[in-house]
Amino acid sequence: MVRQANAVDFWRGLALVFIFINHIPGIYYGRFTHANYSLSDSADLFVFLAGWALRLMVGTPERRQSTWYLVLRLGGRAITLYAAQILITMIALAVLAGCAILLDNPLLLEWHNAAAVFHDPVTTHVGLALITHQLGYFDILPLYVVLMLMAPIIAIIDRYIPQALLPISLLFYLATLLIPIPFRTWPVEGLWFFNPLAWQLIFVLGFVMAREDGLGGFVRRHIVPIRWISVPIVLAGVAFMLSGWWPDPTKFPRPRLLFLIDKTYDTPPRLIQFLALIALMSATYPYILRASKMLVNFLSMLGRNSLYVFCVGSILSLAGQIVRHIYQGNLLIDTAVVISGIAIMALTAWLPEWREDVRVRRGTAAAQPS
Amino acid sequence: MARRCESQARHRRGAAVLTLSAVCATILGASAWAQSNGQPASPPMPAPFSHDCQAGTTATASDSPLPNVAAALAKHKKIKILAIGASASAGRGARHGGYTGEARQILRQAIKGLDVEMINRGISGELATQAAARIKNEVALLEPDMVLWQVGTNDALAYVPIEDLKATVVDTLTWLKEHKIDTVLVGLQYIDRMEQDEHYRKVRDMLRDVAAKENVLIVRRYEAQRLLSQAAVSGGGLFPDEFQRTEAGYTCLAQYMARAITLGIFGPGGLGPRSAPPAIGPQPQQPPSAPPTRM
Repeated sequence: MVRQANAVDFWRGLALVFIFINHIPGIYYGRFTHANYSLSDSADLFVFLAGWALRLMVGTPERRQSTWYLVLRLGGRAITLYAAQILITMIALAVLAGCAILLDNPLLLEWHNAAAVFHDPVTTHVGLALITHQLGYFDILPLYVVLMLMAPIIAIIDRYIPQALLPISLLFYLATLLIPIPFRTWPVEGLWFFNPLAWQLIFVLGFVMAREDGLGGFVRRHIVPIRWISVPIVLAGVAFMLSGWWPDPTKFPRPRLLFLIDKTYDTPPRLIQFLALIALMSATYPYILRASKMLVNFLSMLGRNSLYVFCVGSILSLAGQIVRHIYQGNLLIDTAVVISGIAIMALTAWLPEWREDVRVRRGTAAAQPS
Repeated sequence: MARRCESQARHRRGAAVLTLSAVCATILGASAWAQSNGQPASPPMPAPFSHDCQAGTTATASDSPLPNVAAALAKHKKIKILAIGASASAGRGARHGGYTGEARQILRQAIKGLDVEMINRGISGELATQAAARIKNEVALLEPDMVLWQVGTNDALAYVPIEDLKATVVDTLTWLKEHKIDTVLVGLQYIDRMEQDEHYRKVRDMLRDVAAKENVLIVRRYEAQRLLSQAAVSGGGLFPDEFQRTEAGYTCLAQYMARAITLGIFGPGGLGPRSAPPAIGPQPQQPPSAPPTRM
């Protein structure tokens, strides 16, 4: 049975649409996503809500699953995500190679870190399998795979010493920024676009805040003053994004990663602004629901099927870039790309729900006496 | 199948010739960087290009100096180069750092005693405006002596307006100069198909103009690759297939870059004598206003 539309699925669906648009650099509609007015972007929201979803998988203290079952279930989820990453990477490589041949343009082979796959295939295929070689814009799932590999540990700590979970997570986060601890790519030299040791904090925050007690309970009880504190933080972020003003990063005291706005390490200014943003935006959901139930239902459908939609959206973003390149990116093409992309993402979400619906109806019909 | 094997064998032969040529050129061209009292006795000769990277009458790098790198070298410091750009590690041997790794190796062989640290921070697909923000952060974190910025390709493919791209590049170059960090720009590469794209040509020309105006060194691989392409069309060259030529172009790029950096350090304004810089070929030809006709 498909679950009803809710705030988590709605925001997740919105994040998926924004990720699809933001992954087509230069597209006209990119200016309408919150990434242009906020220090954080849809990636933060996606990972936070992934942590929230982990809480739903793990269950409440009243409905506990056995530890071994939980470990196997979360491990299985990590394998599913890994398989999805390998699948979409291979499709992306085929799209790039096919378009390079069709358009007689070898430049496409170098797009998005694909060059190493074609120029040095022997070593790079090992990197692809190890997910240490990631194509540009295909770098969120590797983070998610690592987070899901950490998930059993997170769930076990939460079960036996819940009050220690957030301090431990914060400790790892600070150590990663202070030392710093880089997550290196291989065989191409570089860093993971998302450092999992830094990004685990936002994942754990989502997991912890989804709980009715502890920090989650505290936030729910004090949400009004928290929102008042959030207003200037969010406004400062908007002012920075519109004016481009931020102190010279070389003038910051060391360790500088604590003060920079950096996505790889999800640095404190970005993280704090994100938390302020969700505190404020969470207040808007009831109004959006009242204003447009159709929109809420639509985005919730995308959110309910987030992995499928994300995978298809990633390929669509790449296709959108190539289409924009062929037609030299104008408003008409950008509009066609966005509309057709969101329509295909919706179809992707609708199909499994329709299949499930048919299965349930057949089951019900079979159970009824003839 | 046989054709493919033949093509691969030709490709491998070509690659071997290029690599061998580069190494020979380095050994022949590099003179010892004799140091006495912390100063080099004589500037090393830049390594000549390998056979297939000799770009005829077209210069492959402007001769702007790298004063901050030269100063770092004079103090016996290690030179730290930050490589930013979409394909910073493209080329053969990804695990050895791609073309930036090759350039580092050529530089180390050309300038004895030189310790070069090449830090790759390329992010695929990002536009110049995102790279510009990251350059500032990475400079704050890594404190490099030089930034090697491969810029423009993604913006050209995404049709970012020229003026926006120009403003981003100029702002970033100014910021780097203010922070006493030298910059080497790596311009667009030559692709037959893209030669017909007006926006692509405009981005190429804009980068050249900005580099000249800001007195920043630019590796002009476009002209060199175009000559390679024309040689291939007329029956010469080791890589008749454009896909292979593009890949081989990275080996040439590593050589161009190593030479440009050597000349930038030891040319006028750097550690070298206040005379004319070592010749790297005649001044670049003016870019054609229209796509060249195929020979």
